[in-house]
Amino acid sequence: MGIIDKSRIYSPWLYHLHCGGCNGCDIETLAALAPRFDVERFGIQLVPSPRHADILLTTGCVPKQFIPMVKRIYEQVPEPKVVVAVGSCACGGSLFYDDAPDNYAILGHPDLLIPVDVYVPGCAPKPEAVINGVVQGILKLAEKRTKK
Amino acid sequence: MLDPVYTVLSLIIIVPLALFLGVIYSFLIRKLSARFQWRVGPMFRMYSDLKPLLGTTRLLQPLYDILKLYGKETIVPDVSRRRLFVYSPYLSLIFAVTAILFIPFPGMPLLSGVPYSLIIASYLLIASTLFSILGPVASGSPWAAIGARREVELFLVSELGFVLSIFAVAIARQSLVIWDIANGGQSIYLALLTVAAGVLMLVAMLGKLHIKPFDMPEAEAEIVAGPYTEYSGKLLGTYYLTKVFILYGLVALFISLFLPPLATSVLWLPLYLLAALVLVFLLTAVQVLNPRYRIKNAINWYLKVVIPLGILNLIIALAIWLVV
Ligand code: SF4
Repeated sequence: MGIIDKSRIYSPWLYHLHCGGCNGCDIETLAALAPRFDVERFGIQLVPSPRHADILLTTGCVPKQFIPMVKRIYEQVPEPKVVVAVGSCACGGSLFYDDAPDNYAILGHPDLLIPVDVYVPGCAPKPEAVINGVVQGILKLAEKRTKK
Repeated sequence: MLDPVYTVLSLIIIVPLALFLGVIYSFLIRKLSARFQWRVGPMFRMYSDLKPLLGTTRLLQPLYDILKLYGKETIVPDVSRRRLFVYSPYLSLIFAVTAILFIPFPGMPLLSGVPYSLIIASYLLIASTLFSILGPVASGSPWAAIGARREVELFLVSELGFVLSIFAVAIARQSLVIWDIANGGQSIYLALLTVAAGVLMLVAMLGKLHIKPFDMPEAEAEIVAGPYTEYSGKLLGTYYLTKVFILYGLVALFISLFLPPLATSVLWLPLYLLAALVLVFLLTAVQVLNPRYRIKNAINWYLKVVIPLGILNLIIALAIWLVV
C-alpha cells in the first residue's frame, strides 16, 4: 500500500448531507463528532463543502423536492468516494415511506438515487454505530482504490 | 554566505525541513485547541489494537491530509476562469516557498544576507496571499467571492500591522537585511521595541493565518468553505501546503526579527524551537478563547489597536535610532 492510499485511510473527511430526516440522526451524528466521542482522534473531520469530502454521510429519506440536490451533491464529491447512510430512514425509508400508496412528498431512501456503500440502521443509531459505519466506509474507500 | 556550496545545500535542505516544521506547528495548533476544548485531538500514540490499521502516530496528520488530497480527483467548475483557477494555487505555493528561502534558520543563513532581504521576504509573503485570493475569485462561486472579499479587507488591515512592526525594527537596527537584524545584539531599549513590535506582529499574524477572531474568510457556518469552496483534490492540497509553508515562514520571520540571536547559530536551535512552540501556543490560545468577529468589527478593532501601537513603535524606533 502506497503512502497516498495510507493517508486516505488516515484522513477521511465527512460531508454531512441532511435530506429530510427528523433531525434525530443528525443529532447523533454531531454527537459522534463532539468532544465525548471525538473522531478527530483518527483524523476524521467534518468539512463544509462537498468538494473536499471523501465520505458522504446521508440521513433521512429524500423528499421529492430534494432529488436534484442529492444527485448534484453526490456528483460534486470527487472520486474515490463512499456514501454512508445513517438511520432507518436512509436505509429503507422507515416510517415515512410506504410503497403501496405513493407518498405525495417523499421519494424514499437515498439508495434510489445514489449508490450507497454502508448502511447504519437504527432510529436513531448511537454515535458508536455511526462511528462504526464511518470506519466500514473507510475500509471500502481503501478497497476501491486498490482495485483500480 | 561565503561558501556557495553550503548555501546551495542549505537551500535544498530547508524546503523539506520547513515542510516538516510547518506540519508539526499545524499539528500542535490542532492538538492544543482540541485539548483546550476537552477533546483528545489527533493522537500522539494510537491505541495499540488499532495500530495495524491506523498507524502508530498522527504527528504528521496535516501532511496526511495534504497527501490524501493529492490522491483525489480534481474538479474544475465550468463557470470558472480555467487558467487562473488552476495556476493560482501553484503560484501561491511557489511564492511561499521562495519567501522561506529568505528567512534564516539556526545554522543556515540561506539568502537572508542579500541586500533588502526583509523587503523581498515580505513582498513574497504578500504575493502568496494575493494568489490565494485571485484563485477563488476566478472560481465563479458566490461563496468564494464573499470569502475572497473578506480576505482582501482583512489583509489590508493586518498587512498594516505587519509592515509597521517590521519597519520599526528595521529603523531601530538600521538595516533592511534580515541576517543583519537577526545577528544584532540586544540592549534594554531594543528589548522594549521587541516587546512592542512583537505584539503588533503577533496581532498581524492572527489576521494572516486566519486565527479565530479573524477567521471570517473561512467562516464555515456562513459561507461554506469560503475561498476554497470550489477547490478540490490537488489544487486544494496545494493551498493547504501553502498554508503550512506560510505558518512556518511567519514563525521563522518573527523569531529572526524580534528575538535576535536565536536564528543565527546551530547552538541556538533548542531555544529557537522553544520560542516557536511558545509562539504556536500563544496563537492557539487566542484561537480557542475567541469567537469570530464580523468583518466590520475586525477592521475597527485592527485600526484601533494597530495604528496607535504602530505609531508607538515608530516613535520608539526613531528614538533608538537618533538617541541611542
Ligand atoms: S431514522 Fe429515526 S431518528 Fe433518524 S431521521 Fe429517521 S425517524 Fe429520525
